[in-house]
Amino acid sequence: MTTKEITVKDQVRQFVNEELAAAKGITSVGDDESLIENGVVDSLGIFRLVTFLEENFGVKIGDEEISAENLQSVNMIEQFVLSKSRK
Amino acid sequence: MAYILQQLLSGSAVRFPQKTAVWARGRSISYRELDERSNQLAHLLVQSGVQKGDRVGLFFPKCVESVISMFAVLKAGGVYVPLDPQAPVDRIGYIIGNCGIRVLITQDEKRRALDVATRESLVHCVVIDEARESGNGTGVLPWSALAEYPASHSPQVTLTETDLAYILYTSGSTGRPKGVMLSHQNALTFVEWCAEKFQISEKDRLSNHAPLHFDLSVFDIYNAIEAGATVYLITEEIALFPTTLQRFIETNQISVWYSVPSALVLLLLHADLKAEDLPHLRTILFAGEVFPMKYLKQLAALLPTVELDNLYGPTETNVCTYYKVDRERLASMDKLPIGVACENTEVFAVNDQDEIVTEPGSSGELFVRGPSVTYGYWGDTEKTAKMVVPNRFQRNFEEKIYRTGDLVTLAEDGNYYFIGRRDSMIKSRGYRIELGEIESALLSHPAVREAAAIAVPDEVVGNRIKAVVAAHEPDSVQAAELQQHCATRIPKYMIPEFIEFRGSLPKTSTGKVDRVELSRDTQPLAV
Repeated sequence: MTTKEITVKDQVRQFVNEELAAAKGITSVGDDESLIENGVVDSLGIFRLVTFLEENFGVKIGDEEISAENLQSVNMIEQFVLSKSRK
Repeated sequence: MAYILQQLLSGSAVRFPQKTAVWARGRSISYRELDERSNQLAHLLVQSGVQKGDRVGLFFPKCVESVISMFAVLKAGGVYVPLDPQAPVDRIGYIIGNCGIRVLITQDEKRRALDVATRESLVHCVVIDEARESGNGTGVLPWSALAEYPASHSPQVTLTETDLAYILYTSGSTGRPKGVMLSHQNALTFVEWCAEKFQISEKDRLSNHAPLHFDLSVFDIYNAIEAGATVYLITEEIALFPTTLQRFIETNQISVWYSVPSALVLLLLHADLKAEDLPHLRTILFAGEVFPMKYLKQLAALLPTVELDNLYGPTETNVCTYYKVDRERLASMDKLPIGVACENTEVFAVNDQDEIVTEPGSSGELFVRGPSVTYGYWGDTEKTAKMVVPNRFQRNFEEKIYRTGDLVTLAEDGNYYFIGRRDSMIKSRGYRIELGEIESALLSHPAVREAAAIAVPDEVVGNRIKAVVAAHEPDSVQAAELQQHCATRIPKYMIPEFIEFRGSLPKTSTGKVDRVELSRDTQPLAV
């Protein structure tokens, strides 16, 4: 029996869409779309996202890592999480 | 002495032609350039048919062109209307129709996103970038067209301080936003007071954290320009990330900061604020919501030499009272006063017997009198008559005063303290939100029978919003669908984060939805 592996990106995408975007009335967010420009995240959303990443992927995210460079889009969040888990 | 806002720019353009006036998104513009570009755009606007008193919309994310556009509209004799670039198209369309905007300054992409009827109602669109194709019907003018107009002088228009300068739209309880009309005199009364009170000079660097459709930005822009200082426009990519924001304040040597308290609380909680890293920061002003005392005390301790001032006032008066934080008293204070009236402004509280409150300890609704008070709401004489009322406490001549709807207590020391609202307006991140506007967005969904929006107090942002909904048919609609529906009508910061479904809503004896009961037994929001 094969189980389809749920990737980091799938989980991030699901959280962004179902938890953050939906509450802002946004139906779907592309993997490269900016969560900031489109108003998917606000100041509380950022910290909900960080808490989700920490709890779900067992990574510790420092305040200085909470930045547009790391959290701009689903793809960038994935890269960030992967680079953290490798360490 | 300036009596219209654009005189602030012409004065500084003569005194500091080479100095940087505005910085945004890595670009800056000198005083001379700001003066010349706004002259050119003003001529273009006049050429496009803008006449004295005409409303011109500004619909794009904030950037250097925002400030050029504000001054250009004023120089053309017009009234600018800053539109929230993130607001739903339906709301923007409503505002454009409500105040009769015929000329819009925007981005090509934003222009295309407008609905057809709105686009067709516009006579001209000036796009701050380049248009991909010229629009049908509407004359689309690219920014590069400015070059054809004279830079050395502005168009000839006769204005007085009583002319309108801008209209700011704010949440309305009946389901649609209302446009607060502000004159040059309204704005300058506040700007001149700030200039004197906070001693803004050409050496200062001011932050602009608030969006331009929010009245906090009036201080940032006009006080910087008046003094020949530099204003740094902060965009979302910076504002959302506390560490990035702190570094921004540090690197740009911001000396005067003004924002809603929640922006400062996020800095406190998630950045590493240190006085030695911020040697240039001398004054922090905050307004828009109540600063939680616990965090204010922390902020005061971290920045021991920075002056802290609490400014208070609805958009209808810009700012009408202030309280300079007394560091000696702060430790023993459990509530922060909104303070005393600003210069050239009178405030008083009126009790239920319709008498002015004079006894310390007594409470009443706060009224504001003076040249900072709005004429009222654009195109809404009924609402205006309810809020901007004849001064019945003075009968020598006719004048209007503004009833804020805010309940206050007068203290022993002469300071006023905010205690609550008369109606169901709430604040979240400093934004005014009429719960009725959210309810009306929910009720406009065909599956919804009853809806109540509830404010859930939050330490950081003031309030978060949830809704309780009863549908016509149980399980016929999901929360996400209602949130999507709301997103087409109200701004994102007003959409309920959480929607609870019930068979029916509790009622008071008069048949109204019982908000008190609902707030009492509602579940707390998850973090």
